[in-house]
Amino acid sequence: MIACGRLEQIKQKFGPGVPRMDLPENGRLFVYAEPTVVKDLCAYIFHDLDARYVTSIGIDDRPHSGNFLVAHDFAFDNDHILCSVITHLPPENPRIESISEIVPAASWAEREMRDLVGIEPVGHRYLKRLVLPDGWPEDSHPLRKDVPWNLVPESFNEEREFQFEEPPEGCMVVPFGPFHPTLDEPAHFRLYVEGEMVRGCEYRGFMTHRGIEKLAESVMGYNDIPMLAERICGICGCVHSVAYVQAVESATNLKPTARAEYIRTIMLEIERLHSHLLWTGLACHIVGFDTLFMQSFRIREPIMWVAEKITGNRKTYALNLVGGVRWDIAPEMRADLLQVLNKLEQEWTTVVKAVSGDKNIQKRTRGVGVTTKEMVKSSALIGPVARAAGVDIDCRRDHPYAAYDRIKFDVITASDGDVWSRLQVRMKEVFESIRIIRQCLNKMEDGPLQVEIKDELPVGRIGLSSVEAPRGESHHFVITGENNRPRRWRVRAPTYQNLQGIPAMIKDQQIADMTISLGSIDPCFSCTDRLETVDLRSGTVKVWTPAELRQMREGKVKS
Amino acid sequence: MSRSGLWAIGGGLLNIIMLLVLAPFLQGVSRKLTARIQSRQGPPLWQPYFDLLKLLGKEDIESGEAPAMQRFAAYLSLAIVLTVACLVPMGFSTRMDGIGDIILLIYLLTVSGVCTLLAGLAAGSTYSLVGISREMMTMISLEPLLVIALVTGAVHAHSLRLDNVLNGAVYARDAFPWSGLLMLIVMLLSFQAFAQRIPFDISEAETELMEGPLMEYSGPKLALFKYAQMAKLVVYAALFVAMFVPFGANLPFPLSWLLFWVKVVVMVILVTLVAATHARYRIDQAIRFFAGLIAVALGSLVLASYGY
Repeated sequence: MIACGRLEQIKQKFGPGVPRMDLPENGRLFVYAEPTVVKDLCAYIFHDLDARYVTSIGIDDRPHSGNFLVAHDFAFDNDHILCSVITHLPPENPRIESISEIVPAASWAEREMRDLVGIEPVGHRYLKRLVLPDGWPEDSHPLRKDVPWNLVPESFNEEREFQFEEPPEGCMVVPFGPFHPTLDEPAHFRLYVEGEMVRGCEYRGFMTHRGIEKLAESVMGYNDIPMLAERICGICGCVHSVAYVQAVESATNLKPTARAEYIRTIMLEIERLHSHLLWTGLACHIVGFDTLFMQSFRIREPIMWVAEKITGNRKTYALNLVGGVRWDIAPEMRADLLQVLNKLEQEWTTVVKAVSGDKNIQKRTRGVGVTTKEMVKSSALIGPVARAAGVDIDCRRDHPYAAYDRIKFDVITASDGDVWSRLQVRMKEVFESIRIIRQCLNKMEDGPLQVEIKDELPVGRIGLSSVEAPRGESHHFVITGENNRPRRWRVRAPTYQNLQGIPAMIKDQQIADMTISLGSIDPCFSCTDRLETVDLRSGTVKVWTPAELRQMREGKVKS
Repeated sequence: MSRSGLWAIGGGLLNIIMLLVLAPFLQGVSRKLTARIQSRQGPPLWQPYFDLLKLLGKEDIESGEAPAMQRFAAYLSLAIVLTVACLVPMGFSTRMDGIGDIILLIYLLTVSGVCTLLAGLAAGSTYSLVGISREMMTMISLEPLLVIALVTGAVHAHSLRLDNVLNGAVYARDAFPWSGLLMLIVMLLSFQAFAQRIPFDISEAETELMEGPLMEYSGPKLALFKYAQMAKLVVYAALFVAMFVPFGANLPFPLSWLLFWVKVVVMVILVTLVAATHARYRIDQAIRFFAGLIAVALGSLVLASYGY
């Protein structure tokens, strides 16, 4: 078995530094390492074993083991293994050597760990706030277990602002966001522009944190969380709820019923269809081609209707439970769905033909926002962004879940790594999704929708799950816990990684290409920002303080 | 005042009134057509009138770095377009005999670009500054095209007077009109840029620059600027028709007038169709495109000076 081979390799190299390794089921590998070897171990896994970096998780495990935990997740895509390197840190002043030097993609995850759990990544080069608002007190870390979920810290400092770097010489600062017509959600890029060329940028996001993980860990139950998870994202909600329930199922060794797996697959692909159509429309809108924007939305609408027919909602499907699904696909819905797919395939063929031959769109997208294979590796870019650069990864094939192991489909790749390639990849993936849904509808057998769970779910088990969202891999990490809820639930949305690739993509490009480059990763800021409790203004030019705004509002009410 | 002076003023006023009345309607036509291409219902044809009325009735907010300059730019931009309307024949041959020549026309059209510059400076935001730098680059490369077209006409007509030039004079009388046809093609290809529509609405580019120079405008001032933009499309269309397709201008009055406006509507429809089927160019791509056109235009000027 390949996982065994990996295990042996690590054991030989690190011996006593790795006291324990688990192979709980096919496709998962847990490596428990001493804090001192973590950096070398990660370097070995990332470079020598050529694994893909997924994310890092900080965990406050003091109520249970008395320690803090840090987990670095990697994926061996060719070997179909998801691997987690776990280490224990002492409860007082937890520090760990930063791995962002060898794995640049870990930069954000380590900053997040420092903000929310208070684990200091030693040697990190850019230790600014990532998630917490700028005025949040330094010594309060919301994801620690001794912090209540509804805490409003007394010492919150409204005056404190994010300190941006000095712009390079000869450059003008162009603030992009927090509000901009092409950003559907707030995020702030501070662009350093020379003439029309972007020379660099600094990012400050996480302006709409909702404290979803804290809420789940302290208030909700196992089967409430899928409802919360699908509200993480405005488009790929089903992805998050599937990823969450699969992480719990993987931790507790539950196998959902076959019919449930097919239904999950169908709904995930319906979601991919409407997401890709939406994206094609928005990308066209960004380069000013509104006709295709409108047509994409017209073509997309029947998919929303058919989703509503199956689940009762256009987007928020409320589909998943631990161990199964809620909604069945009745025979008449099956007929409807097939009809919609036929019409979609026909109309989409026309659109793809029109776009592929359009010189005008190519002019705006070829050679723009280019990513190379090296960038994909170092920033751990995923999804269509990686596939457009010729990196053949797709969780549906590499880490099969739901019914994907019983379905035939192609992973679409391109070679140029520019916006045009991403457009091509996404447009062709629509046809693959149609193919997948048709196969599912044919292969699906009658049977129960849920497995019966008689006992309480076992406690303290770790589950990993990767689901291929329309934007890339969505990774969930769960530690099961007491009181019918997980101890720790960490969500790593695809945009979280892809957004870190943006500064390299837009460097030395025209400012006019900034919007389409950013648009081309299909950014989802609500997925990325899922975390904290308080929302604050960014560090842009400050016109009103929140206090002044409040006074204004009160004044209005009185008069 | 002499009789001809009254005629001139009366004719000019008539042009202005016609322009003010018809420009929003043509905008409505354009919007409806765009909607149809995009499988939408689209607003009623008279929606632009309501939009303007609504904006005019809103609070007049002073904003940006230099509110006075902002106000001035809005007034000036509409005023310039209306002045140009006095000079350009709109279904009647212009009555401004000897009052305006093509040099005045060229300067007036340049000033209308300067209005955008003032508006952007007044807003004082980085986005509007990027917008005006693009506007200036576009203006510098577009203006020569119009100048060459007018000068080609002037060379053939041996006169700078508007009524002589704006009467199909670009076509040589006694030889095959090479220069006129070349300029017709050049102006057709660049017309979208004069009308400031996609793919050449680069200086306003909503999804990049958030309307660029216009970003601080609202209420009545925005209404004036929007009105000026609607009118500008019609004025440029009229100018194009008068210069290149004047055929039928000698028909009896209602017929020639009708024919003229039909031609203008055709131009508006053309602009709409191009805008609905294209993506926006980047400024460097646009400038390269204009540079090619300028080379062709210069060639045609040489041809014109040899009588072709």
